[in-house]
Amino acid sequence: MTKSTEANTLERPSAANQAGAVLQTTAEHFRMLVDNMKDYAIIILDTSGRVASWNPGSETILGYRSSEIIGQHFSRFFPSEEVQRGKPEMELKVATAEGRSEDEGWRMKKDGSRFWSNQVITALRDQGGTLCGFGKVMRDLTERKRAEEKATLQAREIIEISTPVIQIWDGILMAPLVGTLDSERTQQLMERLLERIVETDSAVALLDVTGVPTIDTRTAQHLAETTTAVRLLGAQAVLTGVRPAIAQTLAHLGVDLGNITTRSTLAAGLRVALNLLNLQMVSGNGSGRKDAQ
Amino acid sequence: MNDSLPEEIALRTETDIIVVRKSVREAATRLGFGITDVTRIITAASELARNVFLYAGSGVVRCRVLNGSDRVGLELIVEDHGPGIVDIDQAMQPGYTSGGGLGFGLPGAKRLMDEMEIESVVGKGTKITIKKWRKGT
Amino acid sequence: MSEERLSIIKVRDILMVTMPADPDDATVSALQERVLLAMERSTARGVVLDVSAVDSLDSFFARMIAETTRMVGLMGGRTVLTGIRPSVAITLTQLGLTLGKTRTALSVDRAFEILRDGSQQVQKP
Repeated sequence: MTKSTEANTLERPSAANQAGAVLQTTAEHFRMLVDNMKDYAIIILDTSGRVASWNPGSETILGYRSSEIIGQHFSRFFPSEEVQRGKPEMELKVATAEGRSEDEGWRMKKDGSRFWSNQVITALRDQGGTLCGFGKVMRDLTERKRAEEKATLQAREIIEISTPVIQIWDGILMAPLVGTLDSERTQQLMERLLERIVETDSAVALLDVTGVPTIDTRTAQHLAETTTAVRLLGAQAVLTGVRPAIAQTLAHLGVDLGNITTRSTLAAGLRVALNLLNLQMVSGNGSGRKDAQ
Repeated sequence: MNDSLPEEIALRTETDIIVVRKSVREAATRLGFGITDVTRIITAASELARNVFLYAGSGVVRCRVLNGSDRVGLELIVEDHGPGIVDIDQAMQPGYTSGGGLGFGLPGAKRLMDEMEIESVVGKGTKITIKKWRKGT
Repeated sequence: MSEERLSIIKVRDILMVTMPADPDDATVSALQERVLLAMERSTARGVVLDVSAVDSLDSFFARMIAETTRMVGLMGGRTVLTGIRPSVAITLTQLGLTLGKTRTALSVDRAFEILRDGSQQVQKP
């Protein structure tokens, strides 16, 4: 056997004796490290997936004492639907074929509660390359997961309320669009904008896309639909904040924006709106109307 | 909620389209759909009911509440024993019409709803199922 | 079902047409006929079509409106459509029905203004 020959060769020369001592100390240190890793479950599985070794971190995270889990199959850490889908076998298969397998997912504690786990499973092979088991390292990332979920939820809420429809002038509404416009959001915006137009009897609606990073075909289509619906009410929509990049995209997409008034800046759009209402904007820097003097 | 919906609305005369619109409006409103979705459903129902007159002469509309595990919806089944649709793909093209309509009926109804299914046998008839799911909670 | 009928009244030189809430096909068809007849008899300058009571407008109804607008135009008048509800406007747009070149106004008042202002303008072809 390769292992014993190797051990023999290591013990023969005196220099090697020293090396052996170093190795042993390293092994001890390693054992101490594993024992003290409270935040990591470090588990050795045999080739069939049964638990062969269990560190204290595993007990903290999964809830089993080493006496009750040694010899048990590691599939009990998976939710039943994952077991049915053959997930545990899959993990071992991937690790055997590729050396390691890493993923994140819900896992089960002894008390039946779930935790969000990040895990790496590594195939352990001897010098000859024969598979002798698996090393599995798990981390409980439930808190991070919950924080992420909360952040996503908050981001959604912010996006939902982030398109206010503001009356900026008698007869002029403005909707500053920020972020990515998906179908759902554009639909909601369209409804709100149209309702506000009727409520406030506003003849002009400025749709400002300054805060929209990119526009795809669908979004452009939605904007075109919105302006058409606004026109059906008897009002007019002006698309403002159309930067060169967005103008290029719109032109390339071939979306029919023929009936839509567009302006590169909100200020220019506001001027259009005031014109439509037969109002005039008097410039504040002295270059205003001459007949005022 | 289910039993308060009319089982079947017979489409025999053009005024029955109004009965369809009225029943559908009531059902959709009761299910808690927003005003725009209610309008979409009524309009889709109106388009399909009118198609029945244009192509088959008479038919029937059934209205059903869909209780999914995590969502609620409304299903309408419009069925006739007319000539059937020869080419469904063609009939789904906006602007296509074979019977003097505007050609917005089928593709229009599809756009207004979430799901649409057409079963048609030439010489036997047509069955169109449309569904709309309520948004939000 | 639809006891309420289409109403057409003349206000000075403008025909004020009001659609009932849920008109049946016969009422929608009557719209065209009665409006054109009234245009001929009354030498009206234009038509204000108020659909504020209407809570759904399908392709048949939309076609009738677009056609009537065109025909009134051929008789030298203009039509201004008013009172489309937001939900109806969204549904029409989604259906792909944009009512052609029909002028629209937010309110009956504004519709009258448009027709008054338009009297000096050259009719567009």
